[in-house]
Amino acid sequence: MEEFFQQLTNGLAVGGIYALIALGYTMVYGVLKLINFAHGDLFTIGAYLGLTLLVSMGLFDKIGPLPAVILLAVMVMILVAIIGAILERVAYRPLRQSPRLSAVVSALGASIFFQNAIMAIYSPKFLVYPHDILPKAAVTIFGLDIPVMRIIMFLTSLVLMAALYFFIQKTKIGTAIRAAAIDQGAAKLMGINVDRVIMLVFCIGPALGGAAGLMVGLYYGQINFSMGWMFGLKAFTAAILGGIGNIPGAMVGGLLLGVIEALGAAYISIAWKDAIAFCVLILILIVRPTGLLGERVAEKV
Amino acid sequence: MKSTNILYLAFALIMASCPMFLNAYWTDVFNNVGLYTILALSLNVILGHAGLFHMGHAAFYAIGAYVTAILNTTFGIPVLWSMPLAGIMAGLFAMIVARPIIHLRGDYLLIVTIGIVEIVRIALINNVFDITGGANGIFGISRPTVFGYKISKPDQFFYLIWGFAAVTIFLLLRLEHSRFGRALMYIKEDEVAAGGSGINVAHHKLVAFVIGAVWAGMCGTIYASKMTIIAPESFSFAESVVLFTIVILGGSGSIPGVILGAFLLVGLPEVFRGLAEYRMLVFGAAMVLMMIFRNQGLLPPGPKNYNVADLLPAGGRK
Amino acid sequence: MKRKLCTLGFLTLALVALTLGSAWAETIRIGLMCPLTGSWASEGQDMKQIVELLAAETNKAGGVNGNQIEIVIEDDGGDPRQAALAATRLTTKEISAVIGTYGSSVTEASQNIYAESGILQVATGSTAIRLSEKGLPLFFRTCPRDDEQGMVAAKTLGDLGFAKIAILHDNTSYAKGLADEAKSLLEAQGKTIAFYDALTPGERDYNAILTKLKSAAPDVIFFTGYYPEAGMLLRQKMEMGWNVPMLGGDATNNPDLVKIAGNQAAEGYMFLSPPVPADLDTPEAKAFMEAYQAAYGSAPGSVWAVLAGDAYRVIVEAIAQTKETSGEKLAAYLQKEMKDFSGLTGKISFNEKGDRVGDLYRVYKVDAAGAFVLQP
Repeated sequence: MEEFFQQLTNGLAVGGIYALIALGYTMVYGVLKLINFAHGDLFTIGAYLGLTLLVSMGLFDKIGPLPAVILLAVMVMILVAIIGAILERVAYRPLRQSPRLSAVVSALGASIFFQNAIMAIYSPKFLVYPHDILPKAAVTIFGLDIPVMRIIMFLTSLVLMAALYFFIQKTKIGTAIRAAAIDQGAAKLMGINVDRVIMLVFCIGPALGGAAGLMVGLYYGQINFSMGWMFGLKAFTAAILGGIGNIPGAMVGGLLLGVIEALGAAYISIAWKDAIAFCVLILILIVRPTGLLGERVAEKV
Repeated sequence: MKSTNILYLAFALIMASCPMFLNAYWTDVFNNVGLYTILALSLNVILGHAGLFHMGHAAFYAIGAYVTAILNTTFGIPVLWSMPLAGIMAGLFAMIVARPIIHLRGDYLLIVTIGIVEIVRIALINNVFDITGGANGIFGISRPTVFGYKISKPDQFFYLIWGFAAVTIFLLLRLEHSRFGRALMYIKEDEVAAGGSGINVAHHKLVAFVIGAVWAGMCGTIYASKMTIIAPESFSFAESVVLFTIVILGGSGSIPGVILGAFLLVGLPEVFRGLAEYRMLVFGAAMVLMMIFRNQGLLPPGPKNYNVADLLPAGGRK
Repeated sequence: MKRKLCTLGFLTLALVALTLGSAWAETIRIGLMCPLTGSWASEGQDMKQIVELLAAETNKAGGVNGNQIEIVIEDDGGDPRQAALAATRLTTKEISAVIGTYGSSVTEASQNIYAESGILQVATGSTAIRLSEKGLPLFFRTCPRDDEQGMVAAKTLGDLGFAKIAILHDNTSYAKGLADEAKSLLEAQGKTIAFYDALTPGERDYNAILTKLKSAAPDVIFFTGYYPEAGMLLRQKMEMGWNVPMLGGDATNNPDLVKIAGNQAAEGYMFLSPPVPADLDTPEAKAFMEAYQAAYGSAPGSVWAVLAGDAYRVIVEAIAQTKETSGEKLAAYLQKEMKDFSGLTGKISFNEKGDRVGDLYRVYKVDAAGAFVLQP
């Protein structure tokens, strides 16, 4: 029983990361109906930029760990947001009026480009974040040893998700985003500058993905140019699981997928873990394509 | 129609004479181009003609290759005899897998097919049913023999592969101009109208899927016997991306476009071997640029011209 | 008439001298097939650096038999299909021998191609047993085989007194091969295999696996995969507060292992590996280390790249001793006459299958400073 709860906490920690990345996917899909294949690579860029900034600026020696991490997070998020906006402008905006397939191929091309650019700029090797930045202590809750950092990561994910949710639901700009997601034409008629809204979405989504990348780099320590691929695909699964276009859905989907993976690894087999995740994806799409929290959309053959 | 026939014939003649003035390496490059051409043409039926977003084509290819490999190494069945079986197994797999997902909307279908190709790859690595050899793959596959003549050198394979390609192109051209082909194109243009005209959309989509899978499976046979070893990493999602890109960039739905796409996407990187590290970078950028500037592909299918008189029943009226 | 005959004779002599002279000043081309791109790009690039360094040294010392060495490099991308193409390409470039490559299935894809063209192949990072069981007379390898490592693993685990052993691999052909070897040997010795499963390489979070391992309560974990995952496992194991000892295979031999895991987590970790040049006392090894440090500013990262250097050296030695460049003659020399050649990783001799003979594997332990210490 103890193992079950331990695996549960493992799953929730990983699920928090999936959820953060999934938020980026779901926001972009909601507004543009586009699967941004390059999103996983924006996550990777966040991790790499974090490393570069950390090492080159030597922040920890100057201001101490906690302020440094926050400053680092803010910087990474801004930088990745800018890259996200550029990506939208270059690769997706010209294809707004084209068939959906063109945008998908463009997204794939952008993903390949980013991955190889990272490899060319940084090197194909695994890069390592400096150690001893984060506390390594573990607390004991209900008899389970949980490292403090995992709890902090999980809480950070929740805070960011909650902040996004309130932004989308309660602010004027958030309403504009929701309007554009429902009907771009009508939104334009209401005086909403849809281009700007889309650019904003492409700033927020990638920023969250970049933050997730930084967290992964800081906590796990090791980054590699191809890590965006698996994380991205799982995050997309999570977004669909929760209901694509639906922000609470992405959160729920991410956490749920993390837990399913951890329990699948524990009780079925570690080697088939990823296959289990994909099976979940396929099952959801067959049985309930709108996801757990999504609205019903009529889809008839 | 006539001029395209002449073009095809000219192309066939040029290709037939290639091995005489190409060295072994370039012949092998053309062999690879040939394999990808056949695979891309099979994907073209699914993606180009029927308009189904399919990114899992490598899975069918893998099944065909593995069926041949297993039949050959375990039961000693000669490679070319296992080809129909490989195709059928791939087709069966496609039928089982596609049945529940055929009604999904474009993007969702895309993701599901990605999931399928990954599951197949993981299953192969994990040595499912204990016959796939796991990550090692299967080795010791024998070369194909045609009436006792063993095919092992690149120029011999050249004729086998391009011969098969020629048959494929011929059959697919006939398919394009058949009733089934026209139905597929109708579905691609406007699914609802097609359904309203009496076409059983789900059935046609499924058949398109199966045809594409069968062909990919048979191509897998040739690949297995050419390499004599097969391993799961050759059938990853990246392969599907290459095939998908060949069809889209070449001109989805157009057979000459797909052939051109295969030549460019498989042949050009070999020309630029020296710049290996920047190859993929350029590839990605090229994909984005192509979509922005010419998203119908390099050689898109032209509008179909039909002679009205041919379509009227014999002795028809004006 | 006499004049004409003289001129003709003179011209003929000149021509003969020219052709002989150009044959004399010919370059000997040695191929290097390695993964310059793809998932093992770092290995391939290390291999390239080492072989180029050694070739430059040979040429500076006057070449081999008076001829300069030229290294012809082709990228196999860590993928069997690309390897087949790279191999075919190399066969058209008039090479006498080829070094490579890293990855058993990648090497396997190229074996037949080189064999059919009569080119000597010395593989460097391909430990699968079956590669030398096919009766290919021109195939050799400077790296050991998985069964040897399996034996040493089983022996080491036995010597250290572990009875309940957990085996973890990553489903690649190398890791699984080693894991299977070790498993069967350990079971034959009567040890209990508490756990046997694979992790997914490239992931970050192994807590789920470690939790599962912990509940199996083994005495030791034997991990047969690669160094990035080993580093992550060590680090996360420590964070979980679990102190079980861990033994790794030779693919975990890489200084980045300590970087990833951190000194504290890596301390006490043991692994098997052919000895690295830094730990050998031979003058060749020392000279090599100095030259590498001078040229590239650091120690060589991977022992597999150093094995590529050894492949180069045995080929050059064979050419120098036989004064021939045909595959058959070189192969005959390597098999029959090369005895205890002083390599960068120890003494090299080959048996009739082309495998390297001798006990190559040693045990290394990581100390508190993160250095790899060779155990006696």
